[in-house]
Amino acid sequence: MRLHILRALVGKELRRHIANRGGIALGLLLVVAALLLSVFNPAGLGAGGSSADEGGTGLVGGVHHCFLYYTNEDIDLMSPLLDHLERTLPPELAPHVRIRSLAPDRIRDGIEYSPGTASIRITAPVVDGSRRLRVEIFHPPGAAAAMAPYEAWLWRELRDGLQLIAERKLQSLGVRKPDIRTTGPDDDDLWAVRDSFARLQQDVEEAKPGADIVPAVEIDRHGLGGQVLELRSAIATALVVFALYFSCVYLLPTLNCEERERGVLLAQALSPASPFEILLAKFLFYPVMGGALAAVIAGIYKPAVLSTLFFWMGLFTVAGGFLGIGMTIATLAKTQRAAFMGAMCYLLSVSMILIIASTNGIPVISNFALEYHVPRVLHAALSGSVQSDHWLHLLAAMGLAAIWLTLAGWLFRKRGWQ
Amino acid sequence: MTDAAISIQGLRVCYGRFTAVDGLDLDIRKGELFGLLGPNGAGKSTTIRVLIGQRRPTAGRVAVLGKDVVREWAAIKPLFGYVPDRENHFEEFTGRRNLEFFADLYAVPRLRVNECLKMVELDDAGDTVVRGYSLGMRRKLLLARALLHDPRVLYLDEPTANLDIHSAEVVHRILRERVEEGATVVLTTHDMDEVEKICDRVGIVCKGKLVALDSPLNLKRQHTERKTDAILTTGERMTFDMDREPERESLAELVRSGTTASLRTREFDFHATFLKLTGQAFD
Repeated sequence: MRLHILRALVGKELRRHIANRGGIALGLLLVVAALLLSVFNPAGLGAGGSSADEGGTGLVGGVHHCFLYYTNEDIDLMSPLLDHLERTLPPELAPHVRIRSLAPDRIRDGIEYSPGTASIRITAPVVDGSRRLRVEIFHPPGAAAAMAPYEAWLWRELRDGLQLIAERKLQSLGVRKPDIRTTGPDDDDLWAVRDSFARLQQDVEEAKPGADIVPAVEIDRHGLGGQVLELRSAIATALVVFALYFSCVYLLPTLNCEERERGVLLAQALSPASPFEILLAKFLFYPVMGGALAAVIAGIYKPAVLSTLFFWMGLFTVAGGFLGIGMTIATLAKTQRAAFMGAMCYLLSVSMILIIASTNGIPVISNFALEYHVPRVLHAALSGSVQSDHWLHLLAAMGLAAIWLTLAGWLFRKRGWQ
Repeated sequence: MTDAAISIQGLRVCYGRFTAVDGLDLDIRKGELFGLLGPNGAGKSTTIRVLIGQRRPTAGRVAVLGKDVVREWAAIKPLFGYVPDRENHFEEFTGRRNLEFFADLYAVPRLRVNECLKMVELDDAGDTVVRGYSLGMRRKLLLARALLHDPRVLYLDEPTANLDIHSAEVVHRILRERVEEGATVVLTTHDMDEVEKICDRVGIVCKGKLVALDSPLNLKRQHTERKTDAILTTGERMTFDMDREPERESLAELVRSGTTASLRTREFDFHATFLKLTGQAFD
């Protein structure tokens, strides 16, 4: 590796961008967008969002996935109740509901929800020596109505489930025909729902006084608040990701292929510059340019992020991964147009795969896409909400970036500028 | 061979089943201006691609200044300059900026850029963006780029295509000067006048094989047709073989009788020579 050659090659890349101006113009637009995002803040929220309900809705409207979390504190009650709920799940809701157990020690942990998701949490605590059934609804902020179809099913079947459990217990206690058939709740009016459960408890108590068969049902409804993707930090994340994508996955392959089409890459290859030096110059220039732009955007949005290790680790990982993708496209595409189409097709196909995997609950596939981990890592850094999960995402992103870089290096060595 | 700048031994290059170069043996001497000629698809461009390290030989050995083009390509690269048939500049840069970039890669001083621009008479247009150059200017800039590092071997693929007469003269002068300074120049061209004018030796390749190798003068001697074409006053066209006594007499009689409107002697004709050498001549 010779420094004068590397300097000449990197300088050439820079001068080409100065001469062409298109890339610089788009970079400036991104910076302006970041400035606007920083200056205009109608909700008065600090960078990184707040826990207030008005913190913005997710980028996807409605609730496409509802997680039903339960604890196993009262196994005699929870087990048949959950069986009943699962059995009576309407077919139209079944693909959208995920029933998962939750360890009691995680109840107070923050669970981060992706846009378009919400949850129902059913726990069975013992308060002051008496059994309770606590049902909490966590809906997207400002969109409680989005949970209506889920709640309609939940309240109806929760009550029916409790009723069936009570009937069986009463029969086992010698009550032959318990008269507890009260009308179920028909809407999501919590007063009506509470009243329905209270009447059920009262009927059971009357059928067998002191049996303590149906616990008191506590109902609460919350907005997810800061636990969902906050719009401003989401936009800032998108700008940062786009800056890196634009630089490494779009600019690098198209300009590289343009050089190959014109024969300029051959001219450089016939000079004393080795293929390794040509490759290294591109490896140095594009991630640095994209990274610098991304850092500027992130710094404008939230200056403090520039002093966090997680952000820089995330940025370098993303830049490296995108560079690998860009070089792979550059090596495979024969023409500038093919490179442009390749970059666009890659973006579209990965987006489609992620959306399909997300909406159909196939998280395994998403894990193989760098673009699945990248927004989570950068958003956590930008919103200052880095948790252990995000380190795992960063680790996964590093692994995928290494794979892409290895593939790109191998392909370039194999095919080169030919 | 010690005085060979380029030594090609048994070169064979195949593209799949097609053999582009078929057992080519050729030595190009140091300080020689060598013309590599041949019809389209003859294998001359493939040979040049092997020489510049852009195509691996299927078989055979090629050495430039004693170094193997496959094994020692990195060592050979700084020794040669290459003018491709298709111009390949950074369109958004000025001519000077283009040369400066390559000067930096070759680690030659910037002063040399001015010298090369002046050499090809582009010093006035040096600060113009290449996008605004004419085809001829672009070709001259290619030559300037190839000369930047003062290479000992120069490969040129149709260097005077699209050049006006004066610019072609400039290129010829530069190439002759380079040869006088000891450089070896290999050019491919279809311009027979150019070959005759500047080449020391000529190799004619056809279907991947070398079919003739000699100086233009010797080739001319060997292949000049001693025939005369006559157009009579009646409009009739006749051809006379000057090697045959009866036909010489017939032509003399026609001239004496004043019935010849026009006479033309056939000189060296490379086109005819190609066809003849490759067995494709028309009857």
